[in-house]
Amino acid sequence: MLKIQNLCKSFGAIKATDNVSLSIDQGTIHALIGPNGAGKTTLISQLSGYMQPNSGTITFNGFDLLTLPAHKRPHAGLVRSFQITSVFPELTVLDNICLVLQSMCGQAQSIFRMAKADLSERNEAQEILNRVGLGDKANSLTGNLSHGQKRQVEIAMALATKPKLLLLDEPMAGMGAEESRQIMTLLNTLRTSVTMLLVEHDMDVVFKLADKISVLVYGRVVASDTPENIRKNQDVQEAYLGGNELNPKVKRC
Amino acid sequence: MKYTHHTRFLIGCLLALILLPWLFHATDSSYLVSTFTRLIIFAIAAVSLDLLIGYTGLVSFGHAAFLGVGAYTVGILSFHAYEETTFLGLPGTLSGLTAIPLAVLLSALVALIIGALSLRTKGVYFIMITLSFGQMLFFLFVSLEQYGGDDGMMMFDGRNTLPGLDLNDRVEFYYFCLTWFTLFFLFCTRLVRSKFGRTLAAIRQNEDRLSSIGINEYWAKLQIFVIAGIGAGLAGALSANHTEFISPDITHWTRSGDLMIVVILGGMGTLIGPVLGTFLFLLLEEFLPLILHSFGFDLLSEHWRFVFGPILILVVLYAKSGLYGMIFRKGG
Ligand SMILES: Nc1ncnc2c1ncn2[C@@H]1O[C@H](COP(=O)(O)OP(=O)(O)O)[C@@H](O)[C@H]1O
Ligand SMILES: [Mg+2]
Repeated sequence: MLKIQNLCKSFGAIKATDNVSLSIDQGTIHALIGPNGAGKTTLISQLSGYMQPNSGTITFNGFDLLTLPAHKRPHAGLVRSFQITSVFPELTVLDNICLVLQSMCGQAQSIFRMAKADLSERNEAQEILNRVGLGDKANSLTGNLSHGQKRQVEIAMALATKPKLLLLDEPMAGMGAEESRQIMTLLNTLRTSVTMLLVEHDMDVVFKLADKISVLVYGRVVASDTPENIRKNQDVQEAYLGGNELNPKVKRC
Repeated sequence: MKYTHHTRFLIGCLLALILLPWLFHATDSSYLVSTFTRLIIFAIAAVSLDLLIGYTGLVSFGHAAFLGVGAYTVGILSFHAYEETTFLGLPGTLSGLTAIPLAVLLSALVALIIGALSLRTKGVYFIMITLSFGQMLFFLFVSLEQYGGDDGMMMFDGRNTLPGLDLNDRVEFYYFCLTWFTLFFLFCTRLVRSKFGRTLAAIRQNEDRLSSIGINEYWAKLQIFVIAGIGAGLAGALSANHTEFISPDITHWTRSGDLMIVVILGGMGTLIGPVLGTFLFLLLEEFLPLILHSFGFDLLSEHWRFVFGPILILVVLYAKSGLYGMIFRKGG
């Protein structure tokens, strides 16, 4: 479904993406793990069009993704969420989702459709909020939510685009245990319909959900294999899993 | 609750504006009709600027450029009608049915060009580039020797003609402007509550997030920039008719600055605010020198801006969202 070949991206002397080749198969959950600063977010930014790579190719369902501007990628089915919560604080939670829905039906510029009068849109948005466990917060201002709840909005917005390939950048970071469990269950039920690239630090989540795991260290893919093989892999043990670097309780930003 | 409060206030204001000419007639002060015509025209431009500043978060410092395009379109057409000469092979005209729509169309076109270029920048750069475009137009108009250069030109044949309406009549022209103001205001009310309005609010709050949900923010910004340009162009066309005189001053950067002050003073991100701001600003500008004079402060009367400035600062400091905030937030 997605094929990354020889992708490179540097910031000055830092090679944030160092000759990465990776493919994501349709219908799988592909986890991307690696220590902080490994280049996971940078990779997602290139896939979503927020950054341009220095070299390499990305094809999505067979066509060249790099020629497609960022705002067209969600319409092609490729959608990202943000590690650093990025919502619309002065809109209600429901309106955050409605905004996504109106965009996906090509009504983002519609002057003659009243925002609050589209009942089917509002019902659909409410439905999505119920699924991520925010149903009772629909009419709150998003800026007034707790950090964990804003993370849920972030995921709800991504889901509202009805993605084919979902790029999730540490979706559970900063959520409470209960919320995390709910989102994990949700991702598990979505696996039949949505392909996912999941960046996550919580190894329990990763090993429960992933069909395949790739390990990124200093911008390089050091391993890409099934969860069982990754667990056994000596290099990965040394580079990442066994070391003290792995600490899911640490708050990341 | 808030909605009815608003609506009642608006209907009250509109009724007052409709009845105003009678009041002035009864009190033998009909010249004030002209003052209020000016307020209403300026308010159209102020509301249109607030679509950019308050609703979309685009601080445009060159909005007077579109006033200029609207005014000069009407002026140049009238000039050639009077001289019985042609402009690019086309005859001039005094007909309002041609001149006013053309003024609006050209403003839209100029807004499209200026917007397409300046919206590639953000923040302070956007402020500076819109300011530069405004000044470019100012100097363009100054260089038009045929149309009076920096002295400007008169509309010797009087105001535009319209079937069934005599715009040269003070009161009829007032109602003509009030009608356009009301229509534009209603249009904007719908616009900001539309789905597009929600997109604009999203741009203001977190513009970097838009492309990830499939919205082309550049295109959305360009669209609102053109709509705002149309509003200001309409105001420019009416303004030319009002004064029957067009000069580059209408495009000067201080005009753009006045418009921004009015929006901030009245309350950004509201439609009523810029109207209130316009009324306070222009009425103070007109009457503050007279008031000061009548109290015997002759020196201050000459330098009335020294009193004017602190009043503006006080309003902005003490009312969070300007005059709008004073009226609507305190009352609950
Ligand atoms: N916009 C940027 N400018 C400069 N350096 C950056 C930028 N974004 C990321 N980096 C650097 O690239 C490296 C990878 O960062 P990132 O992709 O955020 O890692 P991860 O998401 O795996 O924690 C880090 O060294 C980081 O400092
Ligand atoms: Mg990251």
